[in-house]
Amino acid sequence: MTDDPTQAPAGDAVNDAVLPMDDLAPDPEGDFVVRDGAVMLRGARSASSGVEAFPARPICPETGAYDMEPALFGPEAVLYSFSTIHVSATRPTPYTLGYVDFPSGLRAFAHVRAPADALACDLPVVLRAEGSEWWVEPA
Amino acid sequence: MSDLGTIIGAGMIPMGKHKTSSYVGLAVPAVRAALRACGLKPGDIQTVTCGHAFGGMLTGQRIVKEIGIGGVPVVNTDNACSGGATALHLATRDIAEGRADIVLAIGVDKLTQFGGGTLPLVEEDPEVARGMVMPALYAMRARRYLHERGETPELLAGVSVKARRHGAANPFAQFRKETTVEEVMASRPIAEPLTLLQCCPTGDGAAAAVVVSERKRRELGLPGAAIRASVLHSGKATTGFRDMLTPEITFHSAAEAYEQAGMGADALDMVELHDAFSIAELIYYEALGLCPRGDSVKLLCDGATSYGGRLVVNPSGGLLAKGHPVGASGMAQAVEAFWHLTGQAGARQIDGARRALTHVTGGGISGMDHGACTIHILEAAA
Repeated sequence: MTDDPTQAPAGDAVNDAVLPMDDLAPDPEGDFVVRDGAVMLRGARSASSGVEAFPARPICPETGAYDMEPALFGPEAVLYSFSTIHVSATRPTPYTLGYVDFPSGLRAFAHVRAPADALACDLPVVLRAEGSEWWVEPA
Repeated sequence: MSDLGTIIGAGMIPMGKHKTSSYVGLAVPAVRAALRACGLKPGDIQTVTCGHAFGGMLTGQRIVKEIGIGGVPVVNTDNACSGGATALHLATRDIAEGRADIVLAIGVDKLTQFGGGTLPLVEEDPEVARGMVMPALYAMRARRYLHERGETPELLAGVSVKARRHGAANPFAQFRKETTVEEVMASRPIAEPLTLLQCCPTGDGAAAAVVVSERKRRELGLPGAAIRASVLHSGKATTGFRDMLTPEITFHSAAEAYEQAGMGADALDMVELHDAFSIAELIYYEALGLCPRGDSVKLLCDGATSYGGRLVVNPSGGLLAKGHPVGASGMAQAVEAFWHLTGQAGARQIDGARRALTHVTGGGISGMDHGACTIHILEAAA
């Protein structure tokens, strides 16, 4: 995907770059892939800036460039922080959330599956998946 | 120094669960109190700014039409928890840019309309869609803080104990009963390590202030709280590492506010800061420059931020005790500061208070520390 490379007057034609982003459309490929048993998140990386993002998106969140390309992250990460949540209007409780940092520097907001006493900040974790769900657990 | 205006009249309603009051029912008494406090009439108001998060269309107009204010610009603003403070910021712009000499600023919200639970966040956000709630964000900050500083959750409970002690003396506070570390720790878990009494209560509220130019203030001959700084920032998103103990948006806003006001944190007698959850107060001590980085535990535990200390943080009881009706809170902080700076705070008056800082953020979107931060510095004007 690129911005309109033509010199046509902006009001003369519609190109891909001005179409609404289908960011609420279900992605039939899901958030992750499994390669040789390893779970990896499907994110994106800007061809020009190298900025990475998860979930995937078409536009670089640092520069605004329309050049994000598919990139995979995982399966290993480090748990930055976490919390077990006991209140929710939309999902069964309790559930545990955390921020995980990948070696490249990308951070992802993840569900965490582990006994509470098995978790700690800076703990190495690994991506796991079943069906359409993905999460992290202690490595 | 440009004239950002002076608050000469202010009012608020007691924060609480006012299920049978509309947005109009909540805000009109606060607006009338603000006008009465300075002796101005509805027809004197030249512009109106109204901050809220959940009031719906034309909230400001719905309020002011009930008391005869019309035919003037009314600007409504949402900035999550910064809505009310953003309304005050817009009022300072109207004064500074010569658009008006007399501005009415309102903050209002009604959270009981949602029937309880955590703040409803925007479901379009990918983290919200995966279960993010505001207590979770602060809980992760708390977890990281305890990990890096080698502290225990009882430290966090101490913030709530202080807030409730202050709130006990505030007739406008939602919680007016003191508590103990043991009681805080024994309250039910919300987002570990945060327990219920470390989370601000859901509630409804409204606050309002009349802001005038210096020229008008001298003409009226009224004392007030002069606004020396008014800073509004958005956060900067990142998809990578973020140090959750270093809220960049508050650090940057505070530095800019001190520069604008020509004074530092050591000049302050009081601070009303955004203690939506216990951990926030400790992190904001450092971000607001009330102590060096790493010294927030000592500042709290030494009693430096309570009555008799170096300055009083959250004399109102803060969001933890006074309550946090999102869009009302930033304005309510300014009203609290006005009362202290004009000697009207009653039993909780800070002796000789001359300078105050108010700080409120607004969060709940992925990649950001917060989406908004508003800081005001006010000084007594005789």
